[in-house]
Amino acid sequence: MTAISRRLTGARGSRQGMWMLPLLIALAVALWLSLETAQFLNGENLLNLVPQAMPLVITAVGQMFVILLGGLDLSVGSMISFTTAVLALGGPAWVLIPAVFALAALVGFSNGFIITRFNVHPIIATLSTQYILLGITRVLRPVSGGTVPDIVISAVAGSFLGVPMPVFWGIFILAVAWKLLYGSRFGLHLFAIGGGVSSGVEDAAHNFGIADRRNIVLAYVICSCFAALAGVFLAGRIVSGDPNVGLLFELDAITAVAIGGTQLSGGIGSLHGTVIGALVMALLANGMNLTNVSPFIQTTIKGAILLLVVALQSRKKMGL
Amino acid sequence: MAAAFANPVMRRLLRVPPAYYVFAVLLVVLWVARPNMLNLNIMGIFVRQIVPLGILVLGQLLVMRVRSIDLSGGGVILLINYTISSGAFPGASMAFFIVLALAIGLAVGFFNGLMVGVRRVSAVIVTLAVGIVLVGIVQYLSSGKPPGDVPGMFADIYNTKLGPVPTPVIFWVAFSAALSLFLSRTVFGRYVTSVGENVQAAHFSGVPVARTVVLAHTLAGLFAGIAALVQTASIAVGSVRVGLDLPILAVAATILGGVVFGRGEGGVWGPFFGVLSFALLFVVMTTFGIDEPGKLIAQGLIILLAAIFYGIRQRSS
Repeated sequence: MTAISRRLTGARGSRQGMWMLPLLIALAVALWLSLETAQFLNGENLLNLVPQAMPLVITAVGQMFVILLGGLDLSVGSMISFTTAVLALGGPAWVLIPAVFALAALVGFSNGFIITRFNVHPIIATLSTQYILLGITRVLRPVSGGTVPDIVISAVAGSFLGVPMPVFWGIFILAVAWKLLYGSRFGLHLFAIGGGVSSGVEDAAHNFGIADRRNIVLAYVICSCFAALAGVFLAGRIVSGDPNVGLLFELDAITAVAIGGTQLSGGIGSLHGTVIGALVMALLANGMNLTNVSPFIQTTIKGAILLLVVALQSRKKMGL
Repeated sequence: MAAAFANPVMRRLLRVPPAYYVFAVLLVVLWVARPNMLNLNIMGIFVRQIVPLGILVLGQLLVMRVRSIDLSGGGVILLINYTISSGAFPGASMAFFIVLALAIGLAVGFFNGLMVGVRRVSAVIVTLAVGIVLVGIVQYLSSGKPPGDVPGMFADIYNTKLGPVPTPVIFWVAFSAALSLFLSRTVFGRYVTSVGENVQAAHFSGVPVARTVVLAHTLAGLFAGIAALVQTASIAVGSVRVGLDLPILAVAATILGGVVFGRGEGGVWGPFFGVLSFALLFVVMTTFGIDEPGKLIAQGLIILLAAIFYGIRQRSS
């Protein structure tokens, strides 16, 4: 027992945040669903859960990198819609797919560049990016339609060696994110920069000789690219471009990250927590669909969860 | 670039909020492209349409001066529009609706204020989440279908004129003037300035920081309630989409008017002209045939460019 409480409060796990609590919540939600509805433990429903959760897992993991350094990226929802619209433009896959990621990297770079070089608050910078991207998406594709390249569809809907493709997506995402966060100097610097920001010393990491601007820009590029990856996945599922598919996705992603124990003020958080947080959100969405909760009230419930989670986190800074 | 910013004449010019320049440029563009549109009657109609935004901006500038933000205005407007037009209170008087709207606005604003000022939660996330909660409630209650009509008395008041100027416009100007006086003459106005300049210094000088932030948010909620009444009167029917793009426009107009987080040099009249710039911008874009996506891009670009403008200037000083 003391070992558990030390692990929860002690120095060793303190950088990871409270990720065990959401794990319990996830198990509780799953238990409730399996008792409440007969369909939940159905094999087909469980198989559907992975592709349902995947876009949110991908976006939330990307968002986590930015949140860890005390920032926020509100443009990921538009980025997802934009990606599906570009993929549905019609054209060879070997042009469209690299183009999508090049554009995402460009958007992420411009976010990071504006934030670090022009002293613009991350929320303002990404809020304006969100609107610019949404406008461009609506120009490209005013209503949903078009077809995405076949390779994207088979990469999402197909299976390899009898295992559905989304499982491989999940393994790939987790491997990349794990390497970036725990296996690279970049990941270590993220925690250093965010830890300074959250304790009120904005340039603490900079004073220790960490190239903070470069790392911040890189984090925004990663966040945008993960959002684009989620967009490719969604495009493969809906088989067309949709200007509204990413609507409010940024809030779901932020909620997932916050549920997973990552502090929105930066410096504290973990990859496994974020994945668990995204799974909690996906389980809730699945459960609300199975129990026929109105989609309109689902939005309200998600908003209320976000309010609750952020209200439970304490921080020093006031305002934005 | 830094040298140009250091020049005294340039510095004086840069201290003027960009809203005035944008307003002047747009006026010239319109004068060249469509000179016959620049008369008092047509302009009165265009400005009348933007009054709800103008009132929302008054609340937005208040919270942005204490380094906060309020994105829940769209949800408040939608909820109030729904309660008035749904016919849930048949035969209710005008005064009842006004009190109800103000109460809803005050309650939402007070909640935002508590979360931001006392719980110290990120203002963007709180107000965005409150906004979606309210939108979700309205969509659930109305099942996504537009509700009924607004009582006729709203439109009757909205359509009155004093000489050539529509009453809503006069109300807006008077309201702005009152807020301007309120901020420059009262203790609360001083508190707002000092909290915006430096939260810690304000705290150690005995300024009740949390109370100031809560009050600023409560007032912003109240103003959103008033904006909702004007908006409801202007469209005269119930809607499930009304006002959803207003919060972001309010942020854009406020930034354009020289009020950036904590810095209030644009006063009340800078954002006022920011709103007028947006009124003109929409007229200009409509005359040049630019539709909704173009307007989204323009909003985003304006926020971005104005924020970059302040960022560079802050660094060079």
